[in-house]
Amino acid sequence: MFSQNGLSLDQAPPLSVVFRFFFTGSIFGMLAGVLILFYQADIFDAHSVAAVTLTHTLTLGVMLSFMFAALFQMLPVIAGVTLKNPIKKANALQYPFILGVLALLFAFNLSAPWLFGIASFLLGGSVLFISFTMLKNILTLTHHSASSKGMLTALISLVLVVILALYLTASLASFTEATYYTAIKEAHYSFGLFGWVALLIISISFQVIEMFYVTPPYPTLVTKYLPNTLLGLLLLSTVVSFFTPLIWVVTDVLLILLLCGYALVTLKRLTQKKRPLTDATVLFWRMGLGSLLLSMLFMGLTLSYDIESIKSLSYLFFTSFSLSIVFAMFYKIVPFLTWFHLNSQGYFTAPMMHEVIHPKTAKKHLYIHIATVAIFAVSIFISELTLLAGLLTMLSFGWMSYQIIHAYLLYIKTQKTGEKFDMNMGNG
Amino acid sequence: MIISHYMKDEHRACDTHFAAAEQAAANGDWAKAEEGFITFSNETLTHFKKEEEELFPAFEAQTGSSEGPTQVMRFEHEQVKSLIGKLAHALEAQDKDAYLSLCESMMILLQQHNMKEEQMLYAMCDRVLPSDVKEETLDKMKKVVL
Ligand SMILES: [Fe+2]
Ligand SMILES: [Fe+2]
Repeated sequence: MFSQNGLSLDQAPPLSVVFRFFFTGSIFGMLAGVLILFYQADIFDAHSVAAVTLTHTLTLGVMLSFMFAALFQMLPVIAGVTLKNPIKKANALQYPFILGVLALLFAFNLSAPWLFGIASFLLGGSVLFISFTMLKNILTLTHHSASSKGMLTALISLVLVVILALYLTASLASFTEATYYTAIKEAHYSFGLFGWVALLIISISFQVIEMFYVTPPYPTLVTKYLPNTLLGLLLLSTVVSFFTPLIWVVTDVLLILLLCGYALVTLKRLTQKKRPLTDATVLFWRMGLGSLLLSMLFMGLTLSYDIESIKSLSYLFFTSFSLSIVFAMFYKIVPFLTWFHLNSQGYFTAPMMHEVIHPKTAKKHLYIHIATVAIFAVSIFISELTLLAGLLTMLSFGWMSYQIIHAYLLYIKTQKTGEKFDMNMGNG
Repeated sequence: MIISHYMKDEHRACDTHFAAAEQAAANGDWAKAEEGFITFSNETLTHFKKEEEELFPAFEAQTGSSEGPTQVMRFEHEQVKSLIGKLAHALEAQDKDAYLSLCESMMILLQQHNMKEEQMLYAMCDRVLPSDVKEETLDKMKKVVL
C-alpha cells in the first residue's frame, strides 16, 4: 500500500550511488574532449568513424551515466519508487557499463567483430537489467504521478534503443544479415534522442521545475498526453518505416512541433516562478530549452535543405539541450544531497548548500559551457577552432568532476570530524 | 476534493511569503525579510498543526494505521521546523550567504513534502474519508490557531 509508494524514512538513495554516475559521466565527458582533439574536423562528417565514436561517447558514456544518476535519485523522490539494495544494483550496472562503452568505442575504430560482441554482451546485459528493474518497480506503483508515467515511457524507449542497438552490433559483427540495417539505425537514434533523452528530461521536468523554482504546475494536457504521444509516434513511425522510409519526414515535423511546444511551455513556467532569484541553474534550464528550440529549427531546415552543416548544428544544439539541463540538475542535486544526508545523520556541522558548491562556482561553469557550445557552433564553419572546442569540453567536464570530488571529500570529512546529535534528530 | 483544495491553497500562500522574504534578504532589506519570514513560519507551523492535530488523526482513524504515511509526514515536519530555526538564526545574524543557502534547502525539502501530500496523502484523504467526516475535519482545521 502506502509504503510501496516510497514514503519511507530513507527517501534518498546513498550518496555514492548518485555521485558515482555523475562522476563516470564527467570522466567520459573529458574523454569526449580528448577524442575531439584527436579526430578534429572529422567529427562533423556524420558517416565517419570519428562521428560515430564521439556520438556514442556523449550519448552512452556521458548522457546515459547522468541519466542513471538522475533516475537513482529521482525515482524515490518523484515517482515514489524505492529500489532495494541500491549499492549492489549500482555496482552491477556501473562496471559492466563502463567496460561495455569502452569496448564499443574500440569496436567502432578497429571494426573488430569480437569487440562488438563483447560490447553487446556488457552493455545489453547491464542496461537491460537496470531498465527492467526500474520498469518493474514503477509498474507495481498503486498511485501514479505524471512523472512516474513519463519515466515509464522513457524507460520503454531505452529498452527499445538497446534492442535495436543489439541488432546493429550483431550485423556489424556479421552474426546476422543486415537486411533492415538502415531502417533499424534510423529507429535506434530516433528512440535514443527523442524517446529516451527527451522523454526522460520531460518527465523529470514535470516535477522539478515546480519543485525547485516554485512555479505553477504544467498544464494537465501536457503532463497527461505528451509522453504517451511521443512514444506512440515513435513506435508507429518505426513500424511504418519498414514499408515507407519517407514516414520519418512526417514524424520529424510532428516531433518538432511537440518538442517546441514543450520548450515554450517550460520557458513560460520559468518566467512565472514565485522565487524571483535567478541562479545559475535557472539559466542552465533556459539555455537548455533555448538549445532545444534551435535544434528543432535546424532539424526543420534539414527537411528542405540537405546541407551537412545544418545537420551538425541540429545535433550540436540537441547535445547542448541535454547537457545544459543535466548541469542544471547537477548543481541542485549535489549540494542538496550532501547537506541532506549529513543533516539527516544528525551532524550539526553539516555544510550548507553554498558551502558544498557555491552559486558563483555554478555560474562560472555556465560561462564555460556557453563558450564551449558557441565555439563548437563556429568550428563547424571554421574547422581550426575545433581544437579550442575540444579543450573547452575537457575544461567543462573537468570542472564538474572536481565539484563531485570536492563534495564527496567534504562529506567524508564531516562524517569523520563533524559533531553529531546522539539522539534521533527528529526530537532535537 | 475539499481537503486537497483547502490544503493546497495554504501551501501556495506559504510559498508566496517565503519568496518575498527570500527576495528581501537578497536585496539586503532585512526588516522586510524578517516580516516575510515571520509570516511564513507562523503560517507554516499553523498548517502543520492542522495536519498533525486534525487531518492525520482523522486519516489514521479511518485507515486504522498510525504508522506509514502520516508518520513520515510528521518526521518531515520536524526537519522543516529545524530548518526554520536555522533560518531564524541566519536572519538575526544578517548572514546573507547562509540565509539564501538555507532557503534553497528549505524549498527543496518543503516542496518535496508538499508534493507528496498533494499527490498522495490529501488525495487519499479525499477518497477514503466519508463526506461528513471530511466536512467536520475541515471545519476543525479552520479553527486551529498556533
Ligand atoms: Fe505537511
Ligand atoms: Fe501540508
